[in-house]
Amino acid sequence: MPMGHTATAQAGSGGLTATEHRLANGLRVVLSEDHLTPVAAVCLWYDVGSRHEVKGRTGLAHLFEHLMFQGSAQVKGNGHFELVQGAGGSLNGTTSFERTNYFETMPAHQLELALWLEADRMGSLLAALDEESMENQRDVVKNERRQRYDNVPYGTAFEKLTALAYPEGHPYHHTPIGSMADLDAATLEDARAFFRTYYAPNNAVLSVVGDIDPEQTLAWIEKYFGSIASHDGKQPPRDGSLPDVMGGQLREIVEEEVPARALMAAYRLPEDGTRASDAADLALTVLGGGESSRLYNRLVRRDRTAVAAGFGLLRLAGAPSLGWLDVKTSGDVEVPVIETAIDEELARFAEDGPTAEEMERAQAQLEREWLDRLGTVAGRADELCRYAVLFGDPQLALTAVQRVLEVTAEEVQEVAKARLRPDNRAVLVYEPTAPADETDATDENEEAAK
Amino acid sequence: MTELATMEFHAQPQAGEPKPWAFPAPERGSLDNGLTVLRCHRPGQQVVAVEVLLDAPLDAEPAGLDGVATIMARAFSEGTDKHSAEDFAAELERCGATLDAHADHPGVRLSLEVPASRLAKALGLLADALRAPAFADGEVERLVRNRLDEIPHELANPARRAAKELSKELFPAEARMSRPRQGTEETVAAIDSAAVRAFYERHVRPATATAVVVGDLTGVDLDALLGDTLGAWTGSAAEPRPVPAVTADDRGRVVIVDRPGAVQTQLLIGRTGADRHDRVWPAQVLGTYCLGGTLTSRLDRVLREEKGYTYGVRAFGQVLRSAPDGTGAAMLAISGSVDTPNTGPALEDLWTVLRKLAAEGLTDAERDVAVQNLVGVAPLKYETAAAVADTLADQVEQHLPDDFQATLYRQLAATGTVEATAAVVNAFPVDRLVTVLVGDAAQIKEPVEALGIGEVTVVAAE
Repeated sequence: MPMGHTATAQAGSGGLTATEHRLANGLRVVLSEDHLTPVAAVCLWYDVGSRHEVKGRTGLAHLFEHLMFQGSAQVKGNGHFELVQGAGGSLNGTTSFERTNYFETMPAHQLELALWLEADRMGSLLAALDEESMENQRDVVKNERRQRYDNVPYGTAFEKLTALAYPEGHPYHHTPIGSMADLDAATLEDARAFFRTYYAPNNAVLSVVGDIDPEQTLAWIEKYFGSIASHDGKQPPRDGSLPDVMGGQLREIVEEEVPARALMAAYRLPEDGTRASDAADLALTVLGGGESSRLYNRLVRRDRTAVAAGFGLLRLAGAPSLGWLDVKTSGDVEVPVIETAIDEELARFAEDGPTAEEMERAQAQLEREWLDRLGTVAGRADELCRYAVLFGDPQLALTAVQRVLEVTAEEVQEVAKARLRPDNRAVLVYEPTAPADETDATDENEEAAK
Repeated sequence: MTELATMEFHAQPQAGEPKPWAFPAPERGSLDNGLTVLRCHRPGQQVVAVEVLLDAPLDAEPAGLDGVATIMARAFSEGTDKHSAEDFAAELERCGATLDAHADHPGVRLSLEVPASRLAKALGLLADALRAPAFADGEVERLVRNRLDEIPHELANPARRAAKELSKELFPAEARMSRPRQGTEETVAAIDSAAVRAFYERHVRPATATAVVVGDLTGVDLDALLGDTLGAWTGSAAEPRPVPAVTADDRGRVVIVDRPGAVQTQLLIGRTGADRHDRVWPAQVLGTYCLGGTLTSRLDRVLREEKGYTYGVRAFGQVLRSAPDGTGAAMLAISGSVDTPNTGPALEDLWTVLRKLAAEGLTDAERDVAVQNLVGVAPLKYETAAAVADTLADQVEQHLPDDFQATLYRQLAATGTVEATAAVVNAFPVDRLVTVLVGDAAQIKEPVEALGIGEVTVVAAE
């Protein structure tokens, strides 16, 4: 069997196509047919995320996302969930810095129901939104925050590092979950105003992917969404642009009850949608993706100073992306030992660039990630929305993997040299403290000294 | 701000004509070396999934060496007779492949996923790992240290900590199931390359292994490919191995794992019950879904959507081991996290939900929605090759026929409200549930004692 440079003839898109449409009210629609399995994915991206929130109301976009499941004019209480699940579908919604998405994957013959449901809440959520839902979902979201962030070791690292990496007042300074104080402060009127401002057909992209009849699907979309009024109340997000490098190393030491020392860092990287961001993705993959990466080989295999070590990329379009380093130390190893090794590896990489084999490996890994993402109708629907909302062109989703494969070793080296430097990172160091149940003061000191 | 103009409303649409879909039937065969092979062509699935099951259960680990199956599973990808550990990882990633391996009660599983065009290369690497693993001293020593480093991280995770405590409570101390799957600090520290090799030689051979291959196999000569790769693996014939029956102590009681200052309490409430060889299984699946399968199920309707005590509580049945002779069992459990001050009220509501279910039963409407969901989501759930391969491998591991899942969908559709009620009430009897709470004992002990759901003991988190 031939071992080409790409895994499939069409390099990930698998010969997929998508068509684009726009309703008179401004709703953008993307359709993509695939009749292999009798399922259809509906995905709706609203161009609003935590970056649109204002001071004192962090977490509102996400809390609002929960309220979207509390009924609308023709859908009672939890009806959205009940109807989709009762039709054999699955559904959810998520909120990030840059967007809020809602999605249903349905057996193909139930597609119309999902469209009807999405249209009902886009057009008439306020008819059902009340204090009771608001109070209930406020408590649910606060418990979500506790479960995912506050009650797990290192749970607030993401929040802390983001706050370091983006300065006070920057739209990405806070994360989508928001603070407990702001969640408590949000009012029903805030939620209503949020809906009136951001939830409009002209601020959304709807994609439908799978075993569909495009003409019929478009007719349903026109029928259900066509009469929803557009409006122009939307506030653009505050400017997220920042200089290419931080210009100094930011650092925070966290003393907490965690099981081991940890070193985490966020590097400021090029914005998503640029060739340089694909180059950065490849650089991070060579350095810290998987178990053949430079950092894994150095820290976990050779030095044996870390239990896990890796790099990830948080792709952002409206602000610099973040290269995310996460290292948990082994045994009693101290953080400076790890940090020195990382700086050596990053400096060496900037000096020499990736080898041809490392490039091949990193590109194969990223290509595989794309195959996974585009391998389900829901994944494809989400990517089509992403490129439509953030970059204005859904077709870019189908060629994304080709762009990654076109990046050269020189470009990878260039971005590493320019960005993966000690003066362009925010660092979070975890130092474990004794458990809180060592009540006696002297014992506590002894425990801490261990 | 003025209210927006109203939209034009339409009646809720009716469903169209359903298109036929069935859980895929695999083709079963075997290689000359005795390896059983299940294959399944899934058009369009460019990422092929290969699952290999080894009859190397945790129960077979030698005394004092809990975790040796885990270390062996991990060591498969740490070098062979052809590649060093670093080279092996590099070659796999060069194919865009991932290889995971883990050990559980029924045996060891290796899961390979790779783009179809690079299947040949990746299957070759997988075969090398099984046929001629290096198990080099230095690599095994590193895996042991790495595993020891992981343990404190797991104990600090409330959900993992709760699972560990529940196993310890439910199963007799001498049963392997009572102890952590991946070993304790003491047992893992005792593992070396000789122990790993001895376990491999005793329990790993093609005659007792099965490979499941699923994906778009267009243009792939799978027979030739398997012959050249997994076909080159040799080993002795299978020997029968006795399996002890699963027994558990489900007297109603509460164990609090103390985590002072915790802002939430992790709940894990469980016992053991019918597994997939039991005729009640479809009704139990259906009833358990109605109790806590999703956020519109009974538990979350109260605990989340009415009271806001939690982000979500789920009830589930998870097979521990399943065998035709009735020696197997499933873990039946309810899990979730609730905020610390509401721990008592949340548990009280949870028990009220269970009592009400026992007293009044499920409604027909509830049963209908559950069936429509469980059966209706099948084509979505099994869209990827990996999902199909995983279920086929589960069936093999649990000694079930290859059409088990396909049959289960028909059985679910034919299960009535009364049967589903009986099954779930039997599965979650209010006085025979072991409750593990990982949380702040100083704050939750008293309110939990007041509920009368069993004797309350407190243990240290470690």
